[in-house]
Amino acid sequence: MIHYFIRRLFVGAITLVLITFLVYALIRMMPGTPLTIVQAVGDPSMQMSEADQKRLEKAYGLDKPWPLGYLDWASKVARFDLGNSLSRKEPVVRLIGRRIGPTLLLTVSSLVLTYVLSIPLGLWSTARSNTIAERTVSMLLYMLYSLPSFVAALYLQILFAVKLEWLPLRGMKSIDYADLSAMGQAWDIFLHALLPVICFTYGSLAYYSRFIKSNMQEVIRQDYIRTAKAKGLTERSILVKHAFRNTLIPLVTLVGLTLPSLLSGAIILEMIFSWPGMGTLFFEALNERDYPTIMGLTLMFSVLTLAGQLLADMLYSVVDPRVTYS
Amino acid sequence: MADDKKAPDPPKPAPKSPGFWRETWVRFRRRPGGMLALVYVVFMALVAIFAPAIAGTKPVMCKYKGHLYFPAMGYFNPKWENPIFQKDRFRKRYTPAKFKEKDPDSWVIWPLVYQDPFRRVGGEEWPGQPENPTGADGSPSRYNWFGTNQQGKDVFAMMVHGTRIALLVGFVSMGIAATVGITFGAIAGYFGGWTDIIISRLIEVVLCIPALVLILALLAIVEKATIWHIMAVIGLTRWTGIARLTRAEFLRLKQSDYVAAAKSLGASQLRIVFKHILRNGLAPVLVPITFGIASAVLLESGLSLLGFGTPPPNPSWGTILREGRDTIQQTWWLIVFPGLAIFFTVLAYNLIGEGLQEATDPRLRSDD
Repeated sequence: MIHYFIRRLFVGAITLVLITFLVYALIRMMPGTPLTIVQAVGDPSMQMSEADQKRLEKAYGLDKPWPLGYLDWASKVARFDLGNSLSRKEPVVRLIGRRIGPTLLLTVSSLVLTYVLSIPLGLWSTARSNTIAERTVSMLLYMLYSLPSFVAALYLQILFAVKLEWLPLRGMKSIDYADLSAMGQAWDIFLHALLPVICFTYGSLAYYSRFIKSNMQEVIRQDYIRTAKAKGLTERSILVKHAFRNTLIPLVTLVGLTLPSLLSGAIILEMIFSWPGMGTLFFEALNERDYPTIMGLTLMFSVLTLAGQLLADMLYSVVDPRVTYS
Repeated sequence: MADDKKAPDPPKPAPKSPGFWRETWVRFRRRPGGMLALVYVVFMALVAIFAPAIAGTKPVMCKYKGHLYFPAMGYFNPKWENPIFQKDRFRKRYTPAKFKEKDPDSWVIWPLVYQDPFRRVGGEEWPGQPENPTGADGSPSRYNWFGTNQQGKDVFAMMVHGTRIALLVGFVSMGIAATVGITFGAIAGYFGGWTDIIISRLIEVVLCIPALVLILALLAIVEKATIWHIMAVIGLTRWTGIARLTRAEFLRLKQSDYVAAAKSLGASQLRIVFKHILRNGLAPVLVPITFGIASAVLLESGLSLLGFGTPPPNPSWGTILREGRDTIQQTWWLIVFPGLAIFFTVLAYNLIGEGLQEATDPRLRSDD
């Protein structure tokens, strides 16, 4: 067991080096550098002289060929330093730290909502399998699952923000946020977060409840369920205690695999709602060719993805004692 | 058994079992959702093929100065537009009035809707049809069924012509992804050992690289990205799931008896891989490919929405959504109609994928 995970960690580290190396190569090969991109959008009077540009390139380490640049970056990372953002002149760690909160606000509330809603929904549709109500709900959920989140986001914005004017259209805070009381501030953020959270949630809600239902349907065919029925247990206790507990295994692995998406947010959704989170940061950094920020974010996402896979495997052996790694 | 005794009943030939594809089709046909989705995709294909005849400003067919011409073919390729109209100074505007003026004996079959996906239709072109409105005035009307965009281009025409892109993106990019994925998966699964380790690592690396970085970086390599480049890039980033599944299938199937039999008969490795294993391992891969088509359509519209889609004169659904997002306060029709089109398309491919999944699932085969 221990050996297995040590080997996994070792392989994961190699994969990480490969990923970061490839991403570094890719972003350095994109046309434009942080300097030229800023110039292209800035006004002509801000144009840098040739000498200034050379000086800045040297300061940022862009004058060296990219493999050396990667070594520089990697050796800094080994000393737990992600460097400074080129376009925002502040440490990448602090930049990420500032954006992580808003993204977590969306993703964590959406994850909690998903679980709170999808487990009862999955159990309900197992219990009422093949009734008209269940079929209607399942069909609606399936259609929701196919509804692209960015289309849903735009539709909700038109309905609730433009036509009805109940909710704000974009952003996380109102302009007068600073003047509000603590309760008012919380309410303000709640209103702004409502539509994004719905968009984050409905797809996974549909997916999870279908997932739970299909797992449940496999379990309730088992012999021990028949035994439980023969003992005269109530249907509720059979479903919840005997059947549902045994569907937890695949559910647990799913948790591990959703770990990276908790922090990465969703670029398109955050862009549509102008939400100041990780997705928007990533998008902006890509457009500004802010190499250290892109690399910092990539490193974080890849570590989380690999860790999520490892966690899923570990949890798997915890919840299912039959699974061993040796 | 008893050949030396009285002739027994000749062994009844077993009824020929239906082939894999036939059986899949029979099982698929029982699902109304899947069939409806299939009809929708066929409908989409028809719209894509006949787009110039549905909405356009170029005659589908005309008799002009004694010859038959098909100027609407210019929508597929500008070179196919007959040069005679250039010579006769139509200036790329075909109107009934011009035809009458230049050749009184001419006759013309016009598209069903006289609107153009690439330009604003002016006031004097079609008798009785006013100039297309622009900006917030372009709400749906009897001349512009789905409204017009900021520049006064007709949304219905753009969407009809955008169908071609939506269809091509799905099939071309997934075709590329399937080719790459099946090849890599087959090599890894069949040869195993170091080849397997290297390819599995590669899959993991591609999975971990943020899709947007990979796509944008690959797109940046070409000077001017066209829709074909975008399809290629989507295909080159979406093959990992297919490769994993093919690898697993190959790992399983290469242990089977018929492979051992083929080997002992001296079949070449190529023959074993392509003729024996691949044909048997293809069925489970079909399902992720269908779901992949849905996700490719989604990805293309998402990229267009973010502004990384095909360059302007191109009427992709996602591009219309992007325009709508910029003016969301006034122009709901730029979002509602393309949004619905994207939704239905994704839903259709998902339904087909699900139908295939159930139709090819061996666990469900025996019970009916």
